[in-house]
Amino acid sequence: MLENYFPILLFILVGLAVGVGPLILSKLVSPSRPDSAKNSPYECGFEAFEDARMKFDVRYYLVAILFILFDLEIAFLFPWAVVLQEIGLFGFLAMMVFLGVLVIGFIYEWMKGALEWD
Amino acid sequence: MTFFGLHFQDIVFYTLATILLIAGLRVITTRNPVYAALYLVLAFFTAAGIWLLLEAEFLAIALVLVYVGAVMVLFLFVVMMLDINLDKLREGFWKALPIALPVGGLMAVEMVMIVGARNFGADVVPAPAAHPADYSNTAELGRVLYTDYLLPFELASVVLLVAIVAAIALTLRDRKDSKSMDPAKQVLVKKADRLRIVKMEAEVEKNDVVDTSAQADDKGAK
Repeated sequence: MLENYFPILLFILVGLAVGVGPLILSKLVSPSRPDSAKNSPYECGFEAFEDARMKFDVRYYLVAILFILFDLEIAFLFPWAVVLQEIGLFGFLAMMVFLGVLVIGFIYEWMKGALEWD
Repeated sequence: MTFFGLHFQDIVFYTLATILLIAGLRVITTRNPVYAALYLVLAFFTAAGIWLLLEAEFLAIALVLVYVGAVMVLFLFVVMMLDINLDKLREGFWKALPIALPVGGLMAVEMVMIVGARNFGADVVPAPAAHPADYSNTAELGRVLYTDYLLPFELASVVLLVAIVAAIALTLRDRKDSKSMDPAKQVLVKKADRLRIVKMEAEVEKNDVVDTSAQADDKGAK
């Protein structure tokens, strides 16, 4: 089975080479004459005055975590879809119960207004 | 195919394992938490590669999709949101070291005793036999997950439900400064809610007479 993945390994290696190659090449070939003015942080002519990181709204986090939960749900659907013919009605009902529980969560977040953005 | 007595798969495994160990070390040693999160991404990728070597292809791809695609985004959000002061975090390092070192060492010894070569060595757990090219790990997983492991599978949905409710309960707040309108409420507004008609006596303007006389006085003075 692993021989199927050999082209992917090659792709990864070639992709790495394409990414790393120019960096090394520019390091080797290009002239480098740094001075204090060139190395200082620069922000559109202003003094760089604060950290790039700042606090932002916690609702981004809420959206992200809700996305992850439904992402996991989708991950469970893939093997189910592949073998649905074999596991038959029992497997179908098993997944419907699984989805039903998550639909309760979906209705809850909809009613709570967690999907609203105001 | 062998190089220096090593199979090609072994070479891939050792390469991935080395990258995984280095990335894991950098996660806990690097100073910038954003870099730590990115090293964790690298660790996930290489771990996915090692799982792929074990022919667990579905798990490997799910690791990349779910962990790299979603969980790491969340980690980055948290790292960005917490606004951590790194110097404050480093302050107690030397004071905590005498306690942290034995505790960490003990945990490491326990883990080595459990997952070490005695229980999980190559002679105890032999490598799975190589499968033919048309073997589907995903189908194998699906055959047992929804039948033999039905209860854990359904419990997983309950765990996800609890996570949804917990995330909403912890982070959903009504903003006081929000100026957004609910269109449904706007449509439902009646005239009576906005407009109040008050019955009152007609006002008699008594002051008019006084005012005109005062003006007349002014003119007379001039």
